[in-house]
Amino acid sequence: MVTVDNTRGQRVFRVVNTIILTLVVIVTVYPFVNIVARSLSDEFAIRAGKVNLLPVGFTFRTYEFVASDPTFWINYRNTVVYTVVATAIAMFMTTCYAYVLSKKHLKGRKFLIGIAVFTMFFSGGLIPNYILISSLGFKDSIWAIVLPNAISVFNLLVMKAFFEGLPSELEEAAAIDGMNTYGILLRIVLPLSKAVLATMVLFYAVSFWNSWFAAFLYMSQSDLFPVTVYLRNLIAGATTGTSVGADATDMTVATNIKAVTMVLTVIPILVVYPFVQRYFVKGVMLGAVKG
Amino acid sequence: MSTTRTIDASPDTGGPQRARPDPARAKPRTGRTWRQALRRDWQLYSLAILPLLFFLIFRYLPMIGNVIAFRKFEPGGSPLGEEWVGLRYVRMFLNDPSFWKVFANTVIIGALTLLFCFPAPIVLALLINELRGRRVKRFVQSVSYLPHFLSMVVVAGLVMEMLSVDGPVNQLLRAAGNDPIAFLQEPGWFRTIYVSSEMWQTVGWGTIIYLAALTTIDEQLYEAARIDGASRWRQIWHVTLPGIRPTAITLLILNIGTFMAVGFEKILLLYNPLTYPTADVISTYLYRMGIVSNSFSYAAAIGLFEALIGLALVMSANLISRRTVGTSLW
Amino acid sequence: MYEINRRQAMVAMGAFLALAACSTGGESGEKKTGDDFSANRDGAMSDYAIGKQFKATTPVSFTILYNNHPFYPIKNDWLFWSELTKRTNVTLEPSVVPLSDYENKRSLLIGAGDAPMIIPKTYPGQETPFVASGAILPVSDYLDLMPNFKDKVAKWNLQPDLDTLRQADGRFYVLPGLHEDYWVDYTLVVRIDILEKLGLEIPQTLDDVHNMLRAMKKEYPDSYPFSDRWSNPTPGGALLNQILGLAYGAHGGWGYLNGITWDYNAQKFAYTGAMEQYKQMLQFLHTLVEEKLLDPESFTQQDDQAIQKLVSGKSFVISGNAQTLVNEYRPPLEKANPKARLAKIPLPIGPLGAVKSDGTSTRLENGIMISKKARDSKNFVAMMQFIDWLWYSDEGQVFAKWGVEGTTYTRDASGKFQLAEDVDFVGLNPGAPKHLQKDFGFSNGVFAYGGSTELLQSTFSDEEIEFQKVMNARKALPPAPPHPLTDEEREQASLWETPLKDHAMSNTLSFILGKRSFDEWDAYVQELEAKNMSAYINLVNNAYERYKKEHG
Repeated sequence: MVTVDNTRGQRVFRVVNTIILTLVVIVTVYPFVNIVARSLSDEFAIRAGKVNLLPVGFTFRTYEFVASDPTFWINYRNTVVYTVVATAIAMFMTTCYAYVLSKKHLKGRKFLIGIAVFTMFFSGGLIPNYILISSLGFKDSIWAIVLPNAISVFNLLVMKAFFEGLPSELEEAAAIDGMNTYGILLRIVLPLSKAVLATMVLFYAVSFWNSWFAAFLYMSQSDLFPVTVYLRNLIAGATTGTSVGADATDMTVATNIKAVTMVLTVIPILVVYPFVQRYFVKGVMLGAVKG
Repeated sequence: MSTTRTIDASPDTGGPQRARPDPARAKPRTGRTWRQALRRDWQLYSLAILPLLFFLIFRYLPMIGNVIAFRKFEPGGSPLGEEWVGLRYVRMFLNDPSFWKVFANTVIIGALTLLFCFPAPIVLALLINELRGRRVKRFVQSVSYLPHFLSMVVVAGLVMEMLSVDGPVNQLLRAAGNDPIAFLQEPGWFRTIYVSSEMWQTVGWGTIIYLAALTTIDEQLYEAARIDGASRWRQIWHVTLPGIRPTAITLLILNIGTFMAVGFEKILLLYNPLTYPTADVISTYLYRMGIVSNSFSYAAAIGLFEALIGLALVMSANLISRRTVGTSLW
Repeated sequence: MYEINRRQAMVAMGAFLALAACSTGGESGEKKTGDDFSANRDGAMSDYAIGKQFKATTPVSFTILYNNHPFYPIKNDWLFWSELTKRTNVTLEPSVVPLSDYENKRSLLIGAGDAPMIIPKTYPGQETPFVASGAILPVSDYLDLMPNFKDKVAKWNLQPDLDTLRQADGRFYVLPGLHEDYWVDYTLVVRIDILEKLGLEIPQTLDDVHNMLRAMKKEYPDSYPFSDRWSNPTPGGALLNQILGLAYGAHGGWGYLNGITWDYNAQKFAYTGAMEQYKQMLQFLHTLVEEKLLDPESFTQQDDQAIQKLVSGKSFVISGNAQTLVNEYRPPLEKANPKARLAKIPLPIGPLGAVKSDGTSTRLENGIMISKKARDSKNFVAMMQFIDWLWYSDEGQVFAKWGVEGTTYTRDASGKFQLAEDVDFVGLNPGAPKHLQKDFGFSNGVFAYGGSTELLQSTFSDEEIEFQKVMNARKALPPAPPHPLTDEEREQASLWETPLKDHAMSNTLSFILGKRSFDEWDAYVQELEAKNMSAYINLVNNAYERYKKEHG
């Protein structure tokens, strides 16, 4: 982008744009800063409603406390393992199917799409799903988490739309050179699709990272839980527990502990994101191919 | 129709890609027999085997459980129900006036969410795209998706704190000389609160798809437009928007299909009996019904009803889109 | 597309039916009512009795659903597990469920026929949906295997309380925790230093409370003297239930439940939300709101917001119990304002008089359901004996609550319990390196509840024991009679209950907050009527009459 537009309208636009985006940044970042501040604050200060943007009664003790719980780290490791394996499987399955669906000449393509779209609306209830997983012997195993959600139809269709947008000349040329379908997908299509692959990896990884329901349903030992179940129990346990109103001897977990756990679970995604983001940099793809 | 074709068609650019075979010409060839298709495309079909197995086992098999919408299910009894009761559960909710009230609420909230939360990421993505300076861009992007990671309990807590009578919003109102409003107790405010918090949570994350789509736009198209003397507005109008159109349409159709599935957890955390008149939706109503009686059959009947609506919506949205803009899911 | 789809569905249907058959297989015919145990005696003691330590004759293990509390997450090396095995020869195999979603998972597991044998933490009423399918055992048929349970019921005269659990077939399906006496815990927590400053006595009645709030408002005109908590997701959770509900004899909030209340005068059930007593309770609260004594946000704000108002001196009164007073209110308030003093006041007396219980309260706690398949286990008798010992014998209860004498606690000559010096619990030994729940697994909500008043109060502070003394001196009204619905009635009732309750809850707040005038009360009752209130109440009253006739 060499040309700089210097018309008055452009300058006004840029100022307005900056203001809008600054507001967006402030509004979105505030709660997160607040949580970080809570995680570094004294519990009494939080209870008194004093903590806002900066920690009050600065302390690392809560972090040490959470980090000293072995279950937290075991669950954390589980989350990493589940996320990596599940994302790999999901990427494989989704890419294969999306590529097939993107071929408009393929006979039966509409039916194949229909199979996927139908499942967005109709699904089995909880109990049939549970019986299925336990009959397959997946209970208390990683398969219960990584297999049943291997294809998200939403992601599938987004990916299909991307594939359809790719120019077909290269594929056709490769086919004439005698390359088979697998080779074309692997060596021609995928290298052209870094942006969509990065997006999908991000989407899948984040959804697996944040998911807790499958683990909650199919895992019955705390050593197998991902960290989200741990976190949910901390956060939601306090509210639902007291709402029953009978367990007077039960105690709630301090708010700063919740904040720490939250910060620790979000961080990895924030760290990974910039690496993925590289692929969104404008104009890498087609320009390079055409050039 | 594909992306590149759309770009070809835009008037400002005489694209160099005309030589490409027109996909529309593939049409007459669909008359092939299955045997021919298999011989020609068996490698493509082989790629679909595992995904199809996945759908069959993990999606279609459990669907059989939906028969309990027409059979009486007793918790702990047979998963396929005890006895046929026909349309009993369907009649039950069709005759339940409360159901129709929550149904209307669901439609309204869903439509509002679609109206505001669907275009917002496109606008934000374009704004971000117009930013100069890679680092600023990256910073704004990274920050904007933070809310996506907050647990719903935390989001609900924040909303309540913001809107409490002593909260920042009411402090602004007071400073402007108005009386404070107990927002969460006013049925009239609930939809506004729900939609704006939803937008706050999803807008940044939603930009990711569009930003990725923006990368597929050929830089040469911009250059050609610039040489033709197109202003930035015209560039956005004629190059950028057509470039992300297939993605946007795909998402729009999907959103229309799922707009009945409004955020259960958030509503559950934000509503209270005072705001039931506007806030209560099908899922929360079912939840309250379910907690009391474990009525899985009733829930299954309503679930099927919802699914039929969703399917009808997505099919009509797809049809309209294919007729009018030429892009569709299938 | 659809043709193939249907064919596919048929194939899948077959496969699924096969799966379903596998998982629910072993359907046996009529259950015998508890006589023939010859095949189920493995590991059982032949001479098990009251005062006798249960010890299985061979090592046995039982599966149990475990409610994992985030404050003391489960650890496999807890002394509780090893000592339990040492004493009873029983190994428990817990299926761990996070507390946050315990009820969902329990319902799923029972629904899918995959529940563990022992299913604890079931509140009375929660077992009803599972009765019809026969997925859980009618435990009342097997009480002869449980001498300690029977003994406690007889000794503490708990039969009327137990009767409230009975289903339409006259049997009950959950083994509840048993309390010797009613236990009043929730009440108003008040800033005592403000009372002293204003020269006020501790309020005894609701009128006193009203006057106290007025005096506070006069002194601090900018404050709402009373700002309450426990309003999410149920508005006025404790206030309308344990606190005002008991004073008026009509329970809202957490206690609203199915919306039926036993009317002592009429000797039949009435719809709570339409009762005169309920109206009076709302009128009292409305007066408080109108005089700006009660914060209108009390019914929608989150707990943290309410506590913040208390701590920062914007309010002086809040609902609470012994635990929240010590853990959540006092420490931050002390930091913010060292001169402030908080205390529980005796439950304010209302129109119902000085009572500690009414028709809604029983002396039962949450309890245990037993999975049907346990009946076919060869260890069934041993399991029932084990449950009887751990949850219902004096020794078992002391063990579950206090742990091992000499390690976690000591007892002096008068029988008074004392925590070991290096062990903390509910702030009794602040600063001690170990924690009774977190590090040893005792006083665990899954295993330790109920029991004698002496045991219950053994962990209470002096001020709490003082509070309990005042409350225990009050009168107890008998629990409401049983009125079990049949299966079809229940399905019908559940369709009426929710809309009725929604409407009542919504209007409860409208009346309190003055969004609706009490002139419209009759109109409101008419609206309930339009939602089948009478039909619903008649259904309940018929069930009551029927049960009385059939089971005396």
